[in-house]
Amino acid sequence: MTDSGFTRRDALALGAGMAALGGAGRARAQAPAEVKVALLAPISGPWARQGLLMKMGAEMAIDDINASGGIRSLGGARMRLVVYDAGDSTEKAKNAAQRMVAQEPDLAGGTGAWLSSFTLAVTEVTERAELPWLTLSYADSLTSRGFRYIFQSSPTNDNQAIAVLPTLMALAERATGKKPTRLGLISDSTASPQSFVRPVRATEAAKYGLRIVVDETFTPPLSDATPLIQKVRSARPDFLLFIATNVPDDKLVMEKLNEYGLGQAKLPTIGNGGHMAVPELVQLTSPEILEGLMVCMANWPGKDQEALTRRFVERTKEPWMGHDSIFPYAHMMIFREAMERSGSADRNKVAEAIRGFDIRNEGPALFFPSKRLKYDARGRLEDAQLVTVQWKSGVPQLVDPPSMATAAAYWPKG
Amino acid sequence: MRPGALPRLRRDALIFAGLLAAYLLFSGIVTNSYYQLMLTLVPVWAVVGLSWNLFSGYVGLISFGHAVFFGLGAFAVALSMSLYDLNPWLGILAGTVVGALAAVLIGLPTFRLRGHYFALSMLAFPLVLLYVFQFLGWQEVSLPMKRQEPLLWLQFTDPRGYTWVALGLLAIAFGISLAVENSRFGLTLMAIRQNELAAEASGINLRRWKMMALVLSGAIAAAAGGFYACILLVVTPEAVFGMLTSAQALTVALFGGVGTVWGPLIGAAVLIPLAETLHAELGNIIPGIQGVVYGVAIILVMLLAPEGIFWTLRDRWARLAAPPPPRPRIPAPLRIATAGGAGPLLKVSGLTKNFGGLRAVDDISFEVAPGEILGIIGPNGAGKTTLFNLLNGVLPSDSGTAWLDGQALGGRKLHAICRMGVGRTFQVVRSFPRLPLLDNVLIGAYGAGLTGAAATAAAEDALARVGLLHQAGQPAGQLTNKGLRLMELARALAGQPHLLLLDETLAGLGREECDEVLTVLRRLREAGMTIVIIEHTMHAMLKLADRFVVIDRGRLLASGPPREVVEDPAVIEAYLGRKWLAKTCSK
Repeated sequence: MTDSGFTRRDALALGAGMAALGGAGRARAQAPAEVKVALLAPISGPWARQGLLMKMGAEMAIDDINASGGIRSLGGARMRLVVYDAGDSTEKAKNAAQRMVAQEPDLAGGTGAWLSSFTLAVTEVTERAELPWLTLSYADSLTSRGFRYIFQSSPTNDNQAIAVLPTLMALAERATGKKPTRLGLISDSTASPQSFVRPVRATEAAKYGLRIVVDETFTPPLSDATPLIQKVRSARPDFLLFIATNVPDDKLVMEKLNEYGLGQAKLPTIGNGGHMAVPELVQLTSPEILEGLMVCMANWPGKDQEALTRRFVERTKEPWMGHDSIFPYAHMMIFREAMERSGSADRNKVAEAIRGFDIRNEGPALFFPSKRLKYDARGRLEDAQLVTVQWKSGVPQLVDPPSMATAAAYWPKG
Repeated sequence: MRPGALPRLRRDALIFAGLLAAYLLFSGIVTNSYYQLMLTLVPVWAVVGLSWNLFSGYVGLISFGHAVFFGLGAFAVALSMSLYDLNPWLGILAGTVVGALAAVLIGLPTFRLRGHYFALSMLAFPLVLLYVFQFLGWQEVSLPMKRQEPLLWLQFTDPRGYTWVALGLLAIAFGISLAVENSRFGLTLMAIRQNELAAEASGINLRRWKMMALVLSGAIAAAAGGFYACILLVVTPEAVFGMLTSAQALTVALFGGVGTVWGPLIGAAVLIPLAETLHAELGNIIPGIQGVVYGVAIILVMLLAPEGIFWTLRDRWARLAAPPPPRPRIPAPLRIATAGGAGPLLKVSGLTKNFGGLRAVDDISFEVAPGEILGIIGPNGAGKTTLFNLLNGVLPSDSGTAWLDGQALGGRKLHAICRMGVGRTFQVVRSFPRLPLLDNVLIGAYGAGLTGAAATAAAEDALARVGLLHQAGQPAGQLTNKGLRLMELARALAGQPHLLLLDETLAGLGREECDEVLTVLRRLREAGMTIVIIEHTMHAMLKLADRFVVIDRGRLLASGPPREVVEDPAVIEAYLGRKWLAKTCSK
């Protein structure tokens, strides 16, 4: 696209493309080249399920791209996904990244590694290898290190905290006709929830006239949610923000809320992050227990992506397509777009192309809630928006923003 | 330096230098940055293993919590660099100091515990710190990227830089370990590992030596952690304080061989690349299988080589020739302190000890004259060994006192009483089977505060006195029961005591062997040694002792010349029962 440099590689690609277009029929010599992109995600260990969901999304994108003719500006080059296992620790994730950059010198880019601390470590490697890296991780620190090759496609934690309250206030007011005033907070002590609740405590709650009436922090894994929920019940908040990081803790808190008669949105409860909208959660609890639970997060396929979701379900036999699969799908589409525009699989050119993106309402931008794709100088997605899903009859339905919603939000009239 | 250590030290250092050079060369030609990372991680974990070995391997107290030092070192570097822009070299130094301080704070309460309890309490420290660091908001600390001066900031663009720094660290840790292993320090630690009680009875101040070992070990682990932070670039409490880190330290040492400098090196060189290769190759086929295979591999090696690879290979392939024994020598005369007057050397007055409702030692008084052999006899469970334990400070007495040469023994610690000149042997012999006889005996000399050549001379004298000098170079594991008894006697003698407390030295010996030991004991008396001996073997005691003290159910039953005592009806009754007494009397 913007790049004017014409390298030998481009020439070859162009040559191959010309040959493919105008060449003599099905000549073998011009078999399109292959471009490699990586997925580095936890495929083993406690986060393996998330990694597998990511893999499903990425693989589907790759198949879609190849079925529609590969990278046209590279003569129909096929995209190939290489998968690396981030394992269960920061150290393993970093080692896997090192292995990836050493063994795949011709990578055009990659995505991963789900958990913010893994992504932090992995991008220390990819940055030094000048490999463009797209990530769904939320931590602010990812894009405050002055790195040039990281692109963060979700609103950062700070921004999520800032974005979530007005959305909820609007939802509540629309449903009940009055503004809530009492806020409850439960969060676990790990990095991501803490950076989420920090701005809520400091400025955001006050900004919307909310008083924090209960504020509990626990260290995962939770063994018993009773003391937490007792405090919540006696403090009587108008709604509860419940910011955790894993399915078992989600289960305990949701079950306890039901046990205390606060479930099924009698106390509107809002969680954060993809783990609160995975099929396992409903398998471990029940549709009744989760009924009405809202979850805000960085992405979810809405009604405009119903065809995509349907194909995904058919292909994978998963009950729905969610946060962890739509992101890698979108990221693969971004790589294709970048390669189309730069006419190159060279990692520096791909990165340069991504930096130059300003796409609205078309191409890979369609896979993001804001329908806009532009990364700022730090690598953060501009105008990144949150979506809210709500559990209804055992299925998470997108309820906000209204333009993408597959169902209307339910907020008890109190 | 221990006797005979110099050639061993020189040999080990040479081998290490050779390996180091080969490793340097190899790392120089590896261009793949991932393989280079493996080459960096091997020495890093070898250092952690060495640090673990320095404490747990030599002292024998298993630490499940070495992650505490490692993590403190890592966070010292990460925090000082991200908050104060401090150079990581200084950060590593600071981490070392923090690790050493942490060792002191951890050692103070935990050295009161033994065995499993110590291991479990060590497990707690990293877990506590993990949550503390999370609470403090340091869930992810990343080291700021520095593009200039890679050596200064330890951020190399050429990954070989990391390997070379890691090797430097390894060389330091190896040097320290080698020095410790071949010195009085190492031998003392090994003595503690074999038998804390025996070590303390040989005059070793347990807490001081354990503390020194833990401080040194903590400092080394912290240095490794600090450097590791520079490799990881992002430090999270889970990564450095996690169970896996402690386990890794333990595994590399156990796998390679405990109690030797080579163990952790072998362990790290095998396990780190193995785990990574499995993760890389097998993990791509069946995610998670790498952990299973790794676990099975470790279990197999532990079954086939329970003491670790090093010892198993050494035992099988390299039967080391024993060094030539020292030249025969005539031992220097015993240094027997002359008592202030003609008074008794040992005076015991009204000693009493209760265990709950049981009065194990009940108001016992007796005296031992210089140069005398006093036999303490009595049926099993009479309280003889408890009496010894009261005398040399293993147990505190409830009432009563004992004086050695006019100095009260009550209230003193075991090792202090040993230094006053009370030597002791135990019912069950504890030896260091892999160590040569001379080293076994040297511990007694070190315990008494002797060092260097004086200690060696004292140990050789002691061996000559018991007639084992010609076997000085043999490992103790090759000795017969008699040899072990004599070795223990020599260990007590090496501390140059004035008084020997011998607990069933003749137990389990055949008649001829028994006579040989008796000859040694008689020679000792001739040289002026005072001996108190507990013994069941009556015929031997009759030949040896000048006087008997008979104890039954904690009480002093009789005392006097042997012949008189054995004919005392009360004694016969205590030993053989009333029926026998009736029979003897009716004759």
